[in-house]
Amino acid sequence: MGIDFFIGLFLATLIVALFTARLYRLILWYSMNSLALGILALMVGKSLDDEAMLITGVATLVIKAVGIPYMLKYFSEKFHFVRQIQPQIKTHYAIMLIPAILVFTFYLSEPITHMVEGNANYVAVSISSLFLSLLLMMEHRHVAPKIIGFLSMENALFLLGITATGGMPMLVELGIFFDLLMAIVVMNLLFHKEEEVRS
Amino acid sequence: MMATLLILPAFAMFLVSFSKHKKAKYLLTVTSFAILLPIVKLFWLPKPYAIWGEYLVADKLDTYILLVSSLVGIGVTLALLTLDLHVKISAKSYRRFYRFFATFWVGLIFSILANHMGIYWIGLELATLSTVYMIKTNHSLAAHKEAWNYMIVGAIAISLVLFGIILMYASAKPILGEDAMRFDLLLQKAQDIPSPFLFEMGFAISTVGMFVKMGFFPMNLWLANIERASFYPVAALFSGILESAVIVGFFRFSEIAMKVNYAHLFSFIFVYALLTIFIVAFLLYRAKDFMRLFSLSGVEHMALIALFWVSGGTFAALLHFGAHAFLKPALFLSTGVLESQGKYHIAGALKGYVGKRGKLFWFTVSLFLLAIISLPPSPMFFSEIYGFGAMIDMAKKSDHILAMIGAILLLLLLLSIIFYRFVTVYQSMKYEGETVEKRVYTSEILALLLFAVCLGFLMTPASFAFLRSIV
Amino acid sequence: MTIYLMTIAILLLIAPLLLSFIKALKMWLLYKKPISIFQGYRNFSKLMQKETLVSQEASIITRVAPFLVLSPLLATLLFLPPVTHGAFYVSFVDAFTITGLISLSTFFLMLLGLDSASSFGGMGSSREAFIAALVEPAMVLTIFSVSMMAGDLGVGQAGANLTAHFPKEHTASFLFAGISFFILLVAENGRIPVDNPETHLELTMVHEAMILDISGVYLAIVEAASSVKFIIFSSLFASLFMPFGMQFGFLAALVIFLAKLFLIATAIAVIEVNTAKLRLFKVPNLLGIAIVFAFLSLITFYVLGA
Repeated sequence: MGIDFFIGLFLATLIVALFTARLYRLILWYSMNSLALGILALMVGKSLDDEAMLITGVATLVIKAVGIPYMLKYFSEKFHFVRQIQPQIKTHYAIMLIPAILVFTFYLSEPITHMVEGNANYVAVSISSLFLSLLLMMEHRHVAPKIIGFLSMENALFLLGITATGGMPMLVELGIFFDLLMAIVVMNLLFHKEEEVRS
Repeated sequence: MMATLLILPAFAMFLVSFSKHKKAKYLLTVTSFAILLPIVKLFWLPKPYAIWGEYLVADKLDTYILLVSSLVGIGVTLALLTLDLHVKISAKSYRRFYRFFATFWVGLIFSILANHMGIYWIGLELATLSTVYMIKTNHSLAAHKEAWNYMIVGAIAISLVLFGIILMYASAKPILGEDAMRFDLLLQKAQDIPSPFLFEMGFAISTVGMFVKMGFFPMNLWLANIERASFYPVAALFSGILESAVIVGFFRFSEIAMKVNYAHLFSFIFVYALLTIFIVAFLLYRAKDFMRLFSLSGVEHMALIALFWVSGGTFAALLHFGAHAFLKPALFLSTGVLESQGKYHIAGALKGYVGKRGKLFWFTVSLFLLAIISLPPSPMFFSEIYGFGAMIDMAKKSDHILAMIGAILLLLLLLSIIFYRFVTVYQSMKYEGETVEKRVYTSEILALLLFAVCLGFLMTPASFAFLRSIV
Repeated sequence: MTIYLMTIAILLLIAPLLLSFIKALKMWLLYKKPISIFQGYRNFSKLMQKETLVSQEASIITRVAPFLVLSPLLATLLFLPPVTHGAFYVSFVDAFTITGLISLSTFFLMLLGLDSASSFGGMGSSREAFIAALVEPAMVLTIFSVSMMAGDLGVGQAGANLTAHFPKEHTASFLFAGISFFILLVAENGRIPVDNPETHLELTMVHEAMILDISGVYLAIVEAASSVKFIIFSSLFASLFMPFGMQFGFLAALVIFLAKLFLIATAIAVIEVNTAKLRLFKVPNLLGIAIVFAFLSLITFYVLGA
């Protein structure tokens, strides 16, 4: 029941993020999304008695729910991001598009859900959140929300890893975290240069 | 021990790149040569050789690919010595370029040698992220935009690969447990995978991710635009090294997928590659500058390699891969000189070379240009013959021989469009436009000669025998 | 039966109290001197004593409409889910009836706004129609989806079923329906992100614009109707989305129920203090989220069974 609740929360925060037109709000929703993911990882890890997943759950909470949102906010203050980020897709189209995507992915993942052991619904939710994060990347013109879309995609994949496979090997998950940190470093450099190009 | 030796040159390069000394860049080139030592050692060792437990394992395929991409890396570092004489680059950016080049190299060593889907992905992601900055060393608005573009599209592509990997892992986990990430075990147990549909789905998704990263349909132009906006060594790295890492992943995944369901795999890749070549041929016909020309031709060759590989022509695919990996970076590196009159000056690009170095330069470049369109002495000619032969052999076993011959004729038609375009470009370079003197530096000649020697070596019977023994 | 009638009486009694409570809490949060929480009753009795003036242009509708605004809401009050275990309740009324009754009341409110022939009334009515048109589909979907999860289309029965055995396997779709319904609660009662009940600024008002031209007893009735509407929505939310505490005795259950109502009121007050009112043309965005969540809840329930 608890897992169901948090998986709902995961999807809900992502959908709300799709309608957000303010950068800081978007960062907040991303942080909530990661929070739900981290708690999910902890709960699933506890129920499977998988120590590796507990560690990655804690890492998710620390890095994704607190660290990265904080860094993004810091970047946005340092490099003066555009904070009014109106989605390119108008709301009344999004209202139709998002349920369409959800229905499509739910049915798309139906054959897969029969093959995965454990709770199959989670796979459907993670696949649909993958598509929704793609939509999040597509519907914004500015760079910062695109990055958040990419990060949410990472979250969706992580969720898939937790739910479909019962946790990937520890080494891989830590490697993914390492790459995420690398991405932040590269982003910092890119934003740095943005200033130089402008001035 | 072996892992340390392999990483050491890149690590040394990373450290040396912090030095502000003027001569430091020569040291960088010397360190890059050091990587040949462990690779040559790898060739002598019995295969498969475990470099780092079960995670990094050297077998014949990845030793070959590692050798090829390291040679390309050495050639690029040679050409990098005179980068600042062709383009405007600040000393700081230049050092940073090396720093990220070193990270890139580490990522690639990991992903080429990986015997583990997860490690493969991590290496690839690391390499992708570090190239973002290399694109950015060019201080132009276009390069800045394209760096972001690369970051975003590359991230999507690479996430698709991870998505596929997770599905494949999930499909094999019931029989293999945590070892379901290992390529060798997956290959052994491919027929026992309990849910082949899930595996095929994962394979298809990660293949689409890899293909997008190499510029296949529908993202045919994004790589070309990025290579246009960045400095020429970046394009050489992309075509010679990064694409090797991607294609090695494709080789490994498709080896497993072949055992799971060969018919599905073949029709999927066949249609995808044909579609890509169809579109690329016409895009190539409209290309107006060297970068886009070479980049699109790279997409075409990658599609051919994928096609040959899944048709069972593994020898042809590997030969084609080697030839392409040497030819294309050489051409990209020579654009630094060819474009010294400006970006869109194709006419007269091969005129105005004086002195020994100049003569040698235009001679090798024309050879490379003619080799890339598979004129007979080129290894590409042989690989295409073998590849088409393999496709026909494969079709003979089924009832689709006529369809296959039709497809090959279509392919030949498309290739002849590309051939025609390249010949036109070559003639325009040689016989049109006015003669303006261009400068060629020793390091570039050395790099080109290195590639030429490698190509020659690829054509020897010994290396043919080695390639045949790989799979 | 007694419990049933008593519950309705209590709900009716505390209806003005709840709105005054929100107002007082908001003032307290803004470091103002809060009004008394009994202000609602005072206003009501004051308005009852005042002279009732009707505009010259007004037709019979102005005299009839206030009663027609209040009566469907009073009828809805009869169909709410039970507060305590074993109490009498109407089980067969479904999502469509409840939504229909509420929109009937809204319809007469809009007529009332139009009837006075002032420009503000017409503007308010058109805005209200704009919002109501978006609220209704979402509301039908949400209540429908919750009733499906509870295993009975009747709202009253659904409320009872949810408390008796909570559908643990459907927590995710339950959550989505909850989010959707909360947005509807805010929108339909004219609370802050959608409408500001405290302002008479012509650019922003919706509900106030419609009742600008009526006075005295009529105004008292319409105000009472809006507080009844709030109590309907909040008790629906309390019994459908916070389904616990019904198994205790009547008094304890009632106290828990009232605590839930005040909790909802507190949440509303906190949201009102922390958010700015949306521009009118941004309101569809918010309601769009509600529709998406309502739909999501339904398809998650049907396709995934989660």
